[in-house]
Amino acid sequence: MPTSDTFDNAILDAIDGGVIVVDQNERVTHWNRWMASASGLAAAQVCGRTLPEIFPDRNLRRLPLAIREALSLRASTIITHALNPSLFPLQSPTYRPLFHDITVSPVGAPEPSGCLILVADVSMATRREKFLRNRQNARYDAVVARAADVILTVDEEGVIQLANPAALVQLGYYTAELVGRAAVDLFETREAWIATWRGALEGSSSGNPTELVARRKDGSITYLEALASRWPTGTRSHVTAILRDVNQRRATEAALRASEAEARTAATALTELNRTLEERVQQRTAQLMNTEEALRQSQKMEAVGNLTGGIAHDFNNLLHVISGNLHLLKRDVAGNVVAQQRLQKALDGVSRSAKLSSQLLAFARQQPLDPKVIHVGNFLRDLEDMLRKAVGEGVTLSMVFDSALWNTLVDPGNLENSLLNLAINARDAMDNRGRLSIEARNIALDADYANTYPEVTPGQYVMIAVTDNGAGMTPEVVQQAFEPFFTTKREGRGTGLGLSMVYGFVKQSGGHIKIDSAVGQGTSVRIYLPRSLQAEETVVDMDAMPVLGGNEMVLIAEDDESVRDTVVALFNDLGYRVLKAKDAQSALNIIESGMPVDLLFTDVVMPGPLHSTELARKARERIPHLAVLFTSGYTQNALSPGGRLAPDVDLLNKPYSRDALARKVRHVLSNAAQRRSQSAN
Amino acid sequence: MAAQPSVTLGELELDALTELVNLGVSSAALSLREMVQEEVLLSVPSVSVVTRAEAIANLEQRNTSRLVGVHQTFEGDIRGRALLIFPEAQSLELVRAVVGGDLSLEDLMELEQEALAETGNVLLNGCLGTIANNLGRSLRISLPEVIHGNGSEFINLTPPPRADSCVLFIYINFAVRRRDIQGYLAMLLDLPSLIALKELLAEFIERATATTVVSPPHAD
Repeated sequence: MPTSDTFDNAILDAIDGGVIVVDQNERVTHWNRWMASASGLAAAQVCGRTLPEIFPDRNLRRLPLAIREALSLRASTIITHALNPSLFPLQSPTYRPLFHDITVSPVGAPEPSGCLILVADVSMATRREKFLRNRQNARYDAVVARAADVILTVDEEGVIQLANPAALVQLGYYTAELVGRAAVDLFETREAWIATWRGALEGSSSGNPTELVARRKDGSITYLEALASRWPTGTRSHVTAILRDVNQRRATEAALRASEAEARTAATALTELNRTLEERVQQRTAQLMNTEEALRQSQKMEAVGNLTGGIAHDFNNLLHVISGNLHLLKRDVAGNVVAQQRLQKALDGVSRSAKLSSQLLAFARQQPLDPKVIHVGNFLRDLEDMLRKAVGEGVTLSMVFDSALWNTLVDPGNLENSLLNLAINARDAMDNRGRLSIEARNIALDADYANTYPEVTPGQYVMIAVTDNGAGMTPEVVQQAFEPFFTTKREGRGTGLGLSMVYGFVKQSGGHIKIDSAVGQGTSVRIYLPRSLQAEETVVDMDAMPVLGGNEMVLIAEDDESVRDTVVALFNDLGYRVLKAKDAQSALNIIESGMPVDLLFTDVVMPGPLHSTELARKARERIPHLAVLFTSGYTQNALSPGGRLAPDVDLLNKPYSRDALARKVRHVLSNAAQRRSQSAN
Repeated sequence: MAAQPSVTLGELELDALTELVNLGVSSAALSLREMVQEEVLLSVPSVSVVTRAEAIANLEQRNTSRLVGVHQTFEGDIRGRALLIFPEAQSLELVRAVVGGDLSLEDLMELEQEALAETGNVLLNGCLGTIANNLGRSLRISLPEVIHGNGSEFINLTPPPRADSCVLFIYINFAVRRRDIQGYLAMLLDLPSLIALKELLAEFIERATATTVVSPPHAD
């Protein structure tokens, strides 16, 4: 039927779409104009060939199967552009890709005689979709893809259908790993998630964010805040949840809470500081005032000492004259009993006066000291009997010492006097009944202590504490206790010089003394003596030595004429030969004249350019083993700084008795003889 | 509520139908495999002829949510509608399984119509075509159409089926790309079609049990 066929072809060519017909053998019988135009292949080129033959380079996918099913089963098939893009290589008249859907249907009944393949141009729809899609994607990208928050779209089953790239950053999951998973599995707080998701799905959400705890892919925990809303698409409902990382906020909140707590602590501390500030200022002020008071006190003592020392020194010289002459007078009144008795009373008075002036000098730190290295423990043990007698039977005496007491360099006689003094004071304070403890310990006085007591040099000390449980003293009394002539004892019981002497002696010895006392509790006097690293010396008890005279040549240097005469008389009385000089220079002249002098007996302080110590040095240059004995009312640093003698220097304190002079002179002379014989060997 | 269908298939006939459905599904699986370039496993755990009410009850029993279906009609000695039905939630999974790759939700939803149409098309063609072919009949099978609705809407599509029409109800399981998807294949048949089917099945059984081997038409 050519006419009909021509007409049919004309109809096919008029269709604005592709029409292909294949026969039972799948060979093309019809290929309309649209197909020719779109494929660039004329009907003549394709008729009689199968589609795979026409498009040998194309993967026609389900098309051949669809054709077979149409021919055998009479089944119709749709092959969409969406799933099978560009199945045929088709172009539009402007040579743009031509997007197309294909349907395959059987032709002829009941048995199919062929198969109709319709090609529909869906370019316009596809491009519109693509445009919409791009526009949507742009929006999507702007909002979802670039969001820092995780955005999940979850379906009605709770399955994740969409996850944005932030999920990788926040949770460690790629989108593909999340899609298809149950969203609830992401959360530690499962109930909270389900409530959020269901609430949104059912429209009953409060709209307030919920805090959720999620577990990242690496197992770590993250805190998220979720806002969920329903998203209806066509017939479906989805829930889109925006999950915001609130770890930073939580951390900040925690830090804020911590810093608030810190601030509160600081504020409390500040308040406390403010509260105690006044107290501490008071403490420091009191400390300062104490220090000032101590300084003032020590300055006062210093001034009183200087005054006292000056008086005592002159007084001593006078006493010396009186004493010496009284001794000499003894011989003159021999046989006159009454005169002898009166003389003895006068000598007793001199002796007491001498003691008094000696105490004054001691307080003034101007007494000549003869320090020895002693072990306080041994020293105290030797003293124990005497102390016991001094305090009497009503007082229990206990002595406690450190096992390894340090040595100290101190004048033993003065230390003995001091301790005796303190013990007697204690006894009186306890009214003869009570407990007296004497304790000796090693102690280090630190810089802090020294700050409070300006006179104290920080360092190691041997401390001797004399403690009673007697009446005690008020702070005012303690304040004045060291002042000379200050006494709380009844008239006639004390001179008020005891503690003054102890004070001066300790100070002069480079030590420190402190009184702690409370009324009704008792008193503790602590003496700190500097530690000496030298070995303990043997102390010679001069009083135990016999009184012997001699016939050696003695050179006496004394500026005070009456004292000089008295001394000369005393030496003569003891059998010595005597030369006399009125000052150091005169004495040196005598030495240098070649006189055979055995002993230089010199006052420490004399007027004139030549000093007594210089005299002794020069004399010894001339006579190497010359015995030298200094005598002084006070030292005033003449012999050595601090008034302490050098080890090889002997000193006799004024005023001295005839016996004391005799013993000391003998001692010095025999020492010199010993040195002479040693060097001769 | 509804009584048994006025015409029912005998045990043997039902076995034969199950056999044919399995053949059809296997054929469809091959076609799907070609389409998705992945192994596709389809299995049919049960085939039954039920009333429309029972079919609706079956569809709505396990799925409260909405359904999506691929609809094709068939005409010939037997006529009716064939529906491949999934819960809507699973349909996207099916699309994802079919399309593969990491497509966004929007992409999937955009492809959903086409992908479901093609998938349903392949599956229904395979099933219907294979069954018809084995029964020695030819059915003209229409192009697919994707519809959304609930079970009742699917079973009672306009024009309203005749009261005596019944449903060949087939459970079908898909396993594609490690995803398991449960769906249903429903064939709505009116009474004459069911009678025709019953007769065709009887013929098929007779042919299959006959000593003389008669090659089915179009079988190679």
